[in-house]
Amino acid sequence: MLSRRLLKKLDFMLITVTLLLIATSLVIIGSATHINNPSEDRYWYVERQGLFALANFLLIFVMLHFDYKALSKYANILYGINLFMLLAVMFVGTSALGAQRWIQIGPISLQPSEFSKIIMIICLAHMLDKRTGRLNTIKDVLPIFIYVGVPFLLVLKQPDLGTSLVFMAILFGMLFVAGINMRLLMGIFAAGIAFMPIFWHFLKDYQKMRLLVFINPNVDPLGSGYHIIQSKIAIGSGLLFGKGLFGGTQSQLNFLPENHTDFIFAVIGEELGFVGASLVLMLYLILLYRGIKIAGAARDNFGTLLAAGIVSMLAFHVLVNVGMTAGIMPVTGIPLPLMSYGVSALTTNLVSLGILLNIYMRRQKILF
Amino acid sequence: MPVVKRDTQRLDVLAILVVFIFVALVSRLGYLQVVQGKYYERLADGNRIKLIPVMAPRGIFYDRNGVPLVSNRPGFTVTLVPISGPIAPEVITKLAGILGMDPADIQNKVKQHAGSFEPIRVKTDIGPDLVTKIEERKAELPGVVIEIQPIRNYMNNELAAHIFGYVGEINDAELEKRKKDGYKLGDIIGKFGLEKVYDREIRGQDGGGQVEVDVTGRPVQVLGKKEPLPGNNLVLTIDYRIQRAAEQAIDEQLTYLQTKTEYINAKSAAAVVMNPKTGEILAMASRPVFNPNLFNGGISAKDWRMLNENPFHPMDNKAISGEYPPGSTFKIITGAAALELGKVTPEEKILDTGKHWIIPKGNAMGEALGWINFREALSKSDNVYFYEMGNRLGIDNLEKYARAFGLGAFTGINLPGESDGLVANRRYKERVYGEDWYLSETFDAAIGQGFQLATPLQMVVVMSQIANGGHRYKPYLVSKITSPTGETLKTFGPEETGQVKISPANLTLIREALREVTLEGGTAAYVFGDFPLAIAGKTGTAENPHGDDHGWFVAYGPYDDPRIAVAIIVEQGGFGASSAVPIAKKIFEAAFNINQPPAENAKLYKPKTAI
Repeated sequence: MLSRRLLKKLDFMLITVTLLLIATSLVIIGSATHINNPSEDRYWYVERQGLFALANFLLIFVMLHFDYKALSKYANILYGINLFMLLAVMFVGTSALGAQRWIQIGPISLQPSEFSKIIMIICLAHMLDKRTGRLNTIKDVLPIFIYVGVPFLLVLKQPDLGTSLVFMAILFGMLFVAGINMRLLMGIFAAGIAFMPIFWHFLKDYQKMRLLVFINPNVDPLGSGYHIIQSKIAIGSGLLFGKGLFGGTQSQLNFLPENHTDFIFAVIGEELGFVGASLVLMLYLILLYRGIKIAGAARDNFGTLLAAGIVSMLAFHVLVNVGMTAGIMPVTGIPLPLMSYGVSALTTNLVSLGILLNIYMRRQKILF
Repeated sequence: MPVVKRDTQRLDVLAILVVFIFVALVSRLGYLQVVQGKYYERLADGNRIKLIPVMAPRGIFYDRNGVPLVSNRPGFTVTLVPISGPIAPEVITKLAGILGMDPADIQNKVKQHAGSFEPIRVKTDIGPDLVTKIEERKAELPGVVIEIQPIRNYMNNELAAHIFGYVGEINDAELEKRKKDGYKLGDIIGKFGLEKVYDREIRGQDGGGQVEVDVTGRPVQVLGKKEPLPGNNLVLTIDYRIQRAAEQAIDEQLTYLQTKTEYINAKSAAAVVMNPKTGEILAMASRPVFNPNLFNGGISAKDWRMLNENPFHPMDNKAISGEYPPGSTFKIITGAAALELGKVTPEEKILDTGKHWIIPKGNAMGEALGWINFREALSKSDNVYFYEMGNRLGIDNLEKYARAFGLGAFTGINLPGESDGLVANRRYKERVYGEDWYLSETFDAAIGQGFQLATPLQMVVVMSQIANGGHRYKPYLVSKITSPTGETLKTFGPEETGQVKISPANLTLIREALREVTLEGGTAAYVFGDFPLAIAGKTGTAENPHGDDHGWFVAYGPYDDPRIAVAIIVEQGGFGASSAVPIAKKIFEAAFNINQPPAENAKLYKPKTAI
């Protein structure tokens, strides 16, 4: 068992915020799905999500027994497993909504690209650990880009533009914390923008459409533009205090598609109003703030990098998802952490938070 | 453990970034929910956002020289938009009164659409008077909206109606079959002809808009609009001038036969004109005909009854679905078989005493031609000679050659409803009648009577094989599919589906004999006597147990360089020479610009794909 001393050092603020977010998520998923379901299974999504949350709490508790430092040792193996999973998806994966992202194992469909995010964070932390402070030239960072590039391209190929962009956010967040030379970073950004037209060329038509729709939703009002228009109507019509739980006409009457997954924040906006939605965002702010504190308090550089990667991932998710539902970000299919229905994402996010707890718990050198 | 000095400054930057994201998102929420909240509330209130589909115009049909034949025109359509609950019954009664419809019909449409938010199309293509009436009373008619919608326009009404087909609202069976291709309730779909065959290519993509509507369903504001994508165009192999000439010629000839001769029941006919070197159909007509414009927006019950109860079946494309005994035109096949199998030599003379010596069957008018050889027998269409050829060949060889020429099988033309005809054979008789084959039936088969049945399209293919040396091309009607902007998307070319082997010497003999048909002494000489163009042809008169004989004529020209092959049948028109041949003459005149009015002379006919 964990020593009482270690347990005392848990980040109780982080735990509280996480539990509050999970609780909100279960209520909102229930609200978004109960109309669509035949009476017997109406809470199927809620039960499933809740069950997985519980299972993950257990997993985190077990994981807390092991020092996170061990992750560094397994980084290379994890990297291999990650590539294997992503390749497996290509060959045995099932597709939905035009992308091949899932592997069916028994009754559970796993989405390897979700897990690959946390794996990439661990691998990158391991790699950057030794290079911290020595990231000044192209030659220093090139191996890192190749290292991330392989899984990045595999995910992009699925195609899962959203997750591949998350990879980029993680990479740059961690490079930044690892002390990359600022001029080099700016140079890389400039090059990235210069290569944008080439990147555009590799996008699928529907991805191009989503980006075009973001710039002008009227390009495709019946297709991808539909989501944005309806989502904005849902959020906007929530006014200050919302229409009350289960009271959102947009979400309840099926005007809003994907309302329990990617567009769940629109349900929050419609049913809980500006006040409720801002409170939810506040919870995320506290969560991220704690993450950054943990990065600062970690006992070693590996811990700092891990925490920085996790914060980058979560922050990017929140920004892009909420931005998308509010019509200021393109539709990329990135779920809202801890809130959207989806057990693979939930597992990844909770395991990430578990790692944060682990880092914080071991923030000082343990005396034997 | 070495203590690594960490750059906490950068973590602070990260923290500031996160706070900035939070502020940005909350500001956006504030803008949407507080500043613009009332606007979005109004949009959400009572589901006022409607998806209004905008129908795409169907692709245009052009003739081979770019003359548009089928296009679209704008028309007013009355639709019901069930915006605030179901449409009130009194509104439906009032609307039915204005439109002169049965309220029950409208109720039925509403019932069909139950559970769908899509607008319900009540009546398509109403006149401006009705538009005014509805607009004047719009306060009494909540949920009734007038939209502008493209209406199919068959520019020359009946012209080529059987080729083009017609369109109509999708029915339940079609919807069931095509749902997975994205067809929806209320869609317009091709029901017949090319409209049906190429529906997927020419239907385009409906557009639409998210439109804010008021309580009566009228659009107040467009939130987003997607322009419809027009369908792809078809460039046909049809030559408008030949098509028109063929139809005019048929109409004039039928009127002539009905009023000036004893053939008062000559009311049905069909003609096919084909390029024998490619299989391109240059014209195809069938009588009686219908006007496909009548079907736009639903045909009226009265019009439908008239079409349905007409005993001469105007909806049938007799050029491809009509099965007739080929009569004497079949002698081409009997003759080719006899020569090829060495059952007769070109020189051998056979004595026609008016009756065959084994079975006393003779010529139609009982005439006797005396000692005649192959050439004379074919050009003068002597029955006794060809009975003897049938006698020498036997039914199995006749069957083999008939099939080699493509009879008894679908030609594979890209139109729905083709018939495959029937080739006289032992198995058929055994199966249907349970009887053995008799020699007299071989005699009948040899002159295209008895069990033999062929469509005009099959006969034009037979004639083309004589003209081109035995190649059987699949007849086709579309040469190109082009995009709305005019780019070529797909081209179609000749497709050889079979070959009949005839030696050059025998082919020459058959051709010469067919040439003599239109020269002095031949069966078609009366009409083609002083024609400036060399034509080869064969007349036929098919016995019809239900009335007067059917008249046939198959031909090609010019004789030296065949560019056009025709097959014509006039049901109950009597002799082929007097019923079908005059139609062929007018077709050749139009195709080769002979005896045309001066205005038409200016545009010299040049088949684009002529080899």
